[in-house]
Amino acid sequence: MQFPAPDLFSSHRLLLITDQLPAPADFLLHRFLHLHLRQSKTAKCFVLAVSESLERWKSVASKANANVTHSESFQFIDVFDQHLPAQNRGEEPLNVISLKYIYDLLSAKLSDSQTHGQIPLVILDDITSLEWLGVSLLDLSRFARALRALCVKMDAMLVVRHHIVTPPEPDALLQHLLQLCTYHIEVRPLASGRSGAVSGEICVHLGPSTKDANEHVISRTSALQYRLTESSAVFFDKGTSTGVL
Amino acid sequence: MMSSFKRKTLSGRANLPQGTRLSPVSTSTVITSTGIPSLDDILGGGLPLSCSLAVLAPDHHSAYGELVQKYFVAQGLASGQKVCIIHDEPLRFAREGIWMAGNTPSTPAQASTAEDADDEKASQHDDKIKIAWRYEQMKKFQTTVSSNSLNDDLCMSFDLTCRIPATALDAARQSAQLIPIDVDIFEDGTGVIEQIEELLSNGTDAHAVRICIPALGSPHWGDMQPPTVLTLLHSLRRLLHRHPNACASLSLAPHMCTDTWGGPGWVQKVGWLTDAAISMSAFGANPSLSSLFPSHHGIVQILTLPAPHTILPASDKYSTLRGLSSAAGSMGGSGENNLAFKCMRKRLIFETIHLDLEGGVTERRTTPSSNAMALDGNMVHETMPAAVLATEGRKGSLATVEVEFERSKEVVSDTPTGRAIPDAGGSLVPAKPKKPKKKVAFRSERPDLYDF
Repeated sequence: MQFPAPDLFSSHRLLLITDQLPAPADFLLHRFLHLHLRQSKTAKCFVLAVSESLERWKSVASKANANVTHSESFQFIDVFDQHLPAQNRGEEPLNVISLKYIYDLLSAKLSDSQTHGQIPLVILDDITSLEWLGVSLLDLSRFARALRALCVKMDAMLVVRHHIVTPPEPDALLQHLLQLCTYHIEVRPLASGRSGAVSGEICVHLGPSTKDANEHVISRTSALQYRLTESSAVFFDKGTSTGVL
Repeated sequence: MMSSFKRKTLSGRANLPQGTRLSPVSTSTVITSTGIPSLDDILGGGLPLSCSLAVLAPDHHSAYGELVQKYFVAQGLASGQKVCIIHDEPLRFAREGIWMAGNTPSTPAQASTAEDADDEKASQHDDKIKIAWRYEQMKKFQTTVSSNSLNDDLCMSFDLTCRIPATALDAARQSAQLIPIDVDIFEDGTGVIEQIEELLSNGTDAHAVRICIPALGSPHWGDMQPPTVLTLLHSLRRLLHRHPNACASLSLAPHMCTDTWGGPGWVQKVGWLTDAAISMSAFGANPSLSSLFPSHHGIVQILTLPAPHTILPASDKYSTLRGLSSAAGSMGGSGENNLAFKCMRKRLIFETIHLDLEGGVTERRTTPSSNAMALDGNMVHETMPAAVLATEGRKGSLATVEVEFERSKEVVSDTPTGRAIPDAGGSLVPAKPKKPKKKVAFRSERPDLYDF
C-alpha cells in the first residue's frame, strides 16, 4: 500500500495532519519529505521546526536514503532561533518569537527559489507547541491563514502538524485549522493500545473548501493502518497485516 | 577468497564518554543508564544523550519521582559523569542520595539474587504445586529485568538503604563533578535555563553531563503556571539538542502531575515537550487497586519513548518488559505488557503486571469466599460480587453484610490519576512504603496466617 497517494502532493493545498501522543505523526512528515525529494533533483522543501531538531531530520533521512544535506533542496528553519535583528538581550530571547518575522523569512526564501514545475513543500511542525508556549490563538490563526495564502501565491504545498491532547473535543486552534485545510489527515492510535504489529491508523477527511468528490478520502471505519519501521512506516489495510495473513 | 576474518575494533567505544554506550538500534545514538535496570529496559537500553526524561508521580504522599532522580544522580556520580542538580537545596538532596552496597560496587547479578532470596521466601510453598514434569526445568516466570547483560558495566546496582558516603560526595564536589544549582534565587524558574546553558557551553564534550531536577514546581520554584512549566520543558529540550553530550531527568512536583492542575490534556502536553516521559501512578489513594495487585505499589504509564535518531523508538524493538519485541515485525501482534513498579526495601523495580488469578488455583469457587482478609476498613475483596466486609472468619462464618464500598474492578490499563482521592482513609504511605505481604494465588483454610 502506498500512502500518501502521489497525487496528494499538489500545489495550493494545505494538508492538516493531526496526531495524538500514543500515535505521533512525525513519520508521516518525514515520509512526505523523502517522497518529495525523490520526485526530482530540484525539489525543494522548507521545514519550520518548533520541536524536532535538525539532527533527527537528517538522521532519519539518511536511513531512508534521502539526501537532505544539500541546502538547495532542504532548508531547516528553527522557529526559535530566528531573532529580530534589533532585539536586545534584556528580554527572554528564548521565548520571544515573531511570527511576522518567520513569515517574511519564508516568503523571501520561497520567492528566491521559484523553479518551474516544481512545487516547494513547506512543513510546519508543529503549530500546537506554539500555542502551548504562549503565542495567542489569534496570532496563530492569523499566522496559519497567512501561511496558507503565501503558499497559494507561491504555488507551494503546505503541511501543518497539530497535536490533539483532548481527543474527542476539537480545541479552538484545531477548529481554525480545519477551516483552512484541503485535507485533514488524522493519525490515531488503536483503541486497544500499542501493539507490535500495528502502531496506529490513518484516516483522511475532506476539508470544507475542497471540491473533490471523494478522492483520497479514507474513512475512519476503513482506516489505513501502519507499523513504524526504523525510518518510515509500512502501510496496510485493516486486517491485512503480515501477522494476520 | 577473501578472508571473512574481521578484527574487532573497539575504536568506537573509546570515543564515547564515560558511562555510556552506543544504542543497539542506531550508531548515532549514545545511551546512558538511569541507574534502574528495569527503567533502562523500558527506555530501550537507557536514556539517550540529548534527551530529556520526565517522571510524573501524582501521588502526594510518596516521593517516587524523587526516588527515580536519586538513582539518576547516583548513577551519574558512580560512572564519573558530571551531575548537575537543580533544587532548592541541591547539596542536601545530594547528601541524602543512595549509593552502592559496601565499598565496591557489587555486580548486578549478585545483588539481585540476594534480594530475590529475601523476598521470595513466601512463595516457597508454590513449589508444592504439582507441575507437569516437562515444565519442571523451566525457569520461573520472569516479570522484571534485573540486569541487562549489555549494561552490566554501565549500570551499577544501588542499595536504597545505603547513603552516599560523605567522602565520595566531597570528592565529587571538589572536582566539580557535582554541580549544584540553587533554585531559590530565581523567580518562577526564570534564569534556570540560562544557568544550564552556561554550564553546558563551558563544559567539554568529553564528559557526559546529567541534569537532574528532582522537584520541578515545588514551592521554592515560586508560583509556577502551566505555560511557564511548558516553556521550561521546551527550552530544556532545545538546549539538549544543541549540546548532545548532555541529558536531563526531571520530576514534576506531585500536584503538577495531573490534568486537574494543568488543565485538560496537561499530561499529554508534558509528554509532547519531552523526549521521554513516564507516569508512576501509585495505588496509595486507591484501595481497590492495592488489593488487586498487592505486590506492587503503582502502575506505570508510558507517555513518550525516546527516539532521537530514528522513527521507531529503540524500546519497541529491545524492551523485554514491554514485550513488543517478540511481536514486532512480521509475526505476532500482541499488545504490550502492562507495567507496574514496586519499591522494595533495597531497590525500586519496574515489572510487568498481570491480572491476579480469580478464585485461586486449587479451588473452584461458586460462593463468595469467607477467607477474605481484613486488610483495612476500606479494602474490598475483588472476587465478591457484593461488597462484603469479612472479619477474620473461619470457614463457614460470614460477617454481616454491610455494603460500604461499591467499586467495580478497575481495568488494569487505566491509570487512577484522575480519580485519586488524596486523603483516602488510612492509606497514607510514607516516602518509602512498607512492602505489603505477598498475596498468593490460593486461599488457605487459615486466613490469620495472612492477616495484616
